[in-house]
Amino acid sequence: MTTVTGVQPLIQKNYQKMLLPAVIAVSVFAILPLFAMFALSLTDYHLIKPWKGEFGFENFIRMANDTKFISSISIMLMLSVLGVIFQVSMGTLIAVGLEKIVPKWRFMRGIFVIPFVVPAIAVALIWLSLFTPTLSPINAFFDIFGVEVPAFLTTQYGAIFAIVVADTWASYPFVMLLILAALQGISGDLDEAASLDGATKMQIFYKITLPLLAPALLMVALFRFIETLKHFPLIFVMTNGGPGRSTQATNYYAYIQTFQSSNVSYGAAIAVFLFLFAAIISFYIARANARISDA
Amino acid sequence: MLKRDFSFKKITGVTLMLLCFAFALLPIIWALILSFRPTTHLFEPVWESPTAFTLDNFHTLVGSDFPLALLNSLVTAGASTLLALIIGIPAGFALAKGRSQKKFIASWMLLLLRMAPPVGFVIPLFLIYLNVGLLDTWIGLIAAYMVLTLPLVVWSSWTSMAQIPDELIEAALIDGASLYQALVKIIIPAARPGIIATAVLAFLIAWNDFFFALIITRSDTVTAPVAIMNFVSYASVNWGSIALASVVLTLPTIPVIIFANKYIVQSMGGAVKG
Repeated sequence: MTTVTGVQPLIQKNYQKMLLPAVIAVSVFAILPLFAMFALSLTDYHLIKPWKGEFGFENFIRMANDTKFISSISIMLMLSVLGVIFQVSMGTLIAVGLEKIVPKWRFMRGIFVIPFVVPAIAVALIWLSLFTPTLSPINAFFDIFGVEVPAFLTTQYGAIFAIVVADTWASYPFVMLLILAALQGISGDLDEAASLDGATKMQIFYKITLPLLAPALLMVALFRFIETLKHFPLIFVMTNGGPGRSTQATNYYAYIQTFQSSNVSYGAAIAVFLFLFAAIISFYIARANARISDA
Repeated sequence: MLKRDFSFKKITGVTLMLLCFAFALLPIIWALILSFRPTTHLFEPVWESPTAFTLDNFHTLVGSDFPLALLNSLVTAGASTLLALIIGIPAGFALAKGRSQKKFIASWMLLLLRMAPPVGFVIPLFLIYLNVGLLDTWIGLIAAYMVLTLPLVVWSSWTSMAQIPDELIEAALIDGASLYQALVKIIIPAARPGIIATAVLAFLIAWNDFFFALIITRSDTVTAPVAIMNFVSYASVNWGSIALASVVLTLPTIPVIIFANKYIVQSMGGAVKG
């Protein structure tokens, strides 16, 4: 009989037993639907018409020729890229500001986080009210100076801008929290050494802090990029995909095809496309994450 | 260092911070104002009638389906969080302390599940539920929310338990506790801040969900985020009730701010070393 030393043997023995419930649950609740999504995308299943029992790639061929689908991709990318740029810049600015510019204003921290916890539907409705010219205090304010604020939601780029603004409001705190954590992980010694060598604050920020923040910035940008691909409540409430189809991003288009046009299999095919897109990006996140953890 | 800095750069920096602060805070103040503004004053500037005040919207909310919807939200978000904790914490522990070559696959899988577009889950779930009669039921919605909460719980209990020293677990085991007893009595309490933050965040994600509930619920189990849309119709939008409902919906999420520190950062992805 060998003496058991340490905790490892016992954990190894129970390893699978402890994992099993989660593996089963994830398989049933998440993996199974995902497989069903792949299977559906290969059928011509329609909520109203009966399915003939055949499989094929018709949906994907249709996607390649569907101008609405193709334009939905560019709308999605526009919303994501603009959103990420806005959120990451603002979140970083506030994080750096809280650390370096106004470190004494502690009370600000908690308030800066509030938009993060506001439910997406409430974010959408609050910003819908702010972008409704007859109601909005922004319009009323500029009226005083005789400046007429345009009705953003009635033009294509205005509507995209409005969604990006609302999304930025709701999501910059996420960036801020992650960058704050990263900033606090950077040792102050470097700053001091540089400042003794005569570097200005700006030089220290650009030459030392920013390069050290780069991995965190890349990570948070990728993270937010994937999240913005999934925009739903903002589009649903603020524009309903309009005006015309100008804010109908791919995720929303999948919803419309499935639940309004009853083209279930075509909707599933679009979801497969989105899934593969997100899978590639999350693979890079996981790899970069593993690299950071090992370092 | 003690002398006050009134340089151009400092002033620009402070101004920028104040602008950001206004951008962050004003929409919330606006929602509060809108919640208590009489309909008759709705379309005139706030500063022209700053004292106009009404509780009409409160009565509208109480008299509508909204309180029931809040209950539905509470039950489904609460139950799915609890289930995810019970199933997910042992798994997170096993991943944190066990030796396995497959951890990279596990971490990628978890990430993938959190990244996957909800529409991909919802379409098959909708068809399955349609056929087995789970549409518009608590069980159906709780199961769907497991898609959101379970990967989060496994991931973040993994990261927070990895920091617990092996010696602590060993000490418990030497005293004759089983691994599960050690988990409940020693390890979970030691990882408590991280676990509480995880639970709060999991609840928040389910509580905030709009998309799953929009597809899966019809009438009986409509959750609060979907019920708000009842105040929007083609004919008119009941702005006051919408604003108040939004405020009410946000209230339970406020405790999260208390945890707005490294625990949230860990739970949100563990992407950045704090």
